Amino acid sequence: MQPLRFLTLLLGLQAGLLYAQPDSSAVEEEDYSMYDNLGFADAGAKRFCTSKVFDLSPQKLISLGYDFQGPYSLEEPDGSKTQFDYSHGERLQFNIPVLSRNDVIIQLNVNHAAQRYSGAADSAAVLGRNLLERGLRTTGLGTTIFKPLNEKHFILFQGSADLSGDYTLDQWQSLSLLRYSAAAIFGWKKHDRLMYGFGLSRTYRVGEMNYIPVFLYNYTAPNRKWGAEVLFPARAHYRRTYNARNLLLLGYELEGQSYRMNNSQAYPYRSNTLEPGTPNVAVLNPDLRRGELRIRAVYECSLKNFIWLSVQAGFRYNYSFQLDDVPSEFFRGFFGNQPYAMENLLGHTFYSMVSLNLVSP
Amino acid sequence: MKKLLFPFLAVLLMFPFGAMAQTDADRIVGVWEPSNGKARVKIEKIGTKYFGKIVWLKEPTDPETGKPKVDKNNPDESLRNAPLKGYRMLKDFSHKGGNEWDGGTIYDPENGSTYDCTITMKDQNTLDIRGYIGISAFGRTDVWKRLAVGGAK
Repeated sequence: MQPLRFLTLLLGLQAGLLYAQPDSSAVEEEDYSMYDNLGFADAGAKRFCTSKVFDLSPQKLISLGYDFQGPYSLEEPDGSKTQFDYSHGERLQFNIPVLSRNDVIIQLNVNHAAQRYSGAADSAAVLGRNLLERGLRTTGLGTTIFKPLNEKHFILFQGSADLSGDYTLDQWQSLSLLRYSAAAIFGWKKHDRLMYGFGLSRTYRVGEMNYIPVFLYNYTAPNRKWGAEVLFPARAHYRRTYNARNLLLLGYELEGQSYRMNNSQAYPYRSNTLEPGTPNVAVLNPDLRRGELRIRAVYECSLKNFIWLSVQAGFRYNYSFQLDDVPSEFFRGFFGNQPYAMENLLGHTFYSMVSLNLVSP
Repeated sequence: MKKLLFPFLAVLLMFPFGAMAQTDADRIVGVWEPSNGKARVKIEKIGTKYFGKIVWLKEPTDPETGKPKVDKNNPDESLRNAPLKGYRMLKDFSHKGGNEWDGGTIYDPENGSTYDCTITMKDQNTLDIRGYIGISAFGRTDVWKRLAVGGAK
């Protein structure tokens, strides 16, 4: 009888093992304390911090957006005026993960933004007429690298090359006019709800090339209802998280670039390369130093799975819309006294932007 | 007695004993730690497929409720009270051959999202877990390390 009992037992055990299919995500009773005191099987294994904190607004892999600004005016130094009824344009962004591992993340960033203007300009308003005719474009290629050093420290690097100007798709500008921006930050990941860092950036966000210190601060409160997403001075937002698929951001972003106005006619103003008191001369191919502050509310929600909608509205405050006549890039900074070739007054206005996004895992 | 034994042996041989045996594909079975160190996941074979459930959490208690963490971000409301400990976050993986297991999904309790997933065993103690959306290019790879009793802390 013994062999028979054994075979019966074995048969029952096997059948039980083979056909005990999982009940989806069902919870099983198990003594989980046995997993408390485990360690790495590989003695050389290392833990790394991640690039996010809890509930951070989702990173966009692909973003297709549309920007619209309400009416505003432009006044040039001779008093000639342009009244823009509105300006608008597409905003496209692609952030493709090239290498995404726990010990390094490398992304390739491609972006394109256009702004077209609609309205009427005085006959003498050279800049206004040029904007109405051609608008502005920025096309850029960049990279973002997140390098965790261990569980607590990381390095973040961002670099980009942008071509900004009044070019059109059939009248492209020379790649020698590329503008380079970069930022490097050393940071601390204190825990899953707080990371911060300090660094230095070369940026065009205030219109002209500048070197400024930067401060990164991403925080989520213990109740996970709110937090902060800051990369000062470029942007800073208070975040209200309703749930994992709905959030609201309140804050600001600095936007700007140096646009080469290659396709315009000569600007009849003084070149800033001349000594003060020199008679006015025509300025050819100036750089438009455009910098603006966008004070805004952004609502983001998941439409379906990884497709997110982002709607933002706010006030666009003009910081700089001046023209420089420069043979080469130079550093003016916040305290430089080099004169602009043409100082313009651009009005402030309300704006809105909507985008459809594919977000990252 | 011998008359009874023969039919039992015949029936027994009809069952796929090979499926029970430890195979090359079963190398993935064990307890693993994601790179962030916040959880430990036990990968096991159930039937012909591989599943991974959370067996340990660095912070097992929800600071807001003071109770064990539950799957509160699950898009299925009926599952939002399910304890995270014991939750199967890896599902339905098959051994593709070589060092790869695919056809499964990975669930992220942080946001309630489920991603397509491929597992590659880099060495006997290291897994590359790649979660992605639709195509592998839109994804993120996390490196998981095998844990063992008496291993390095």
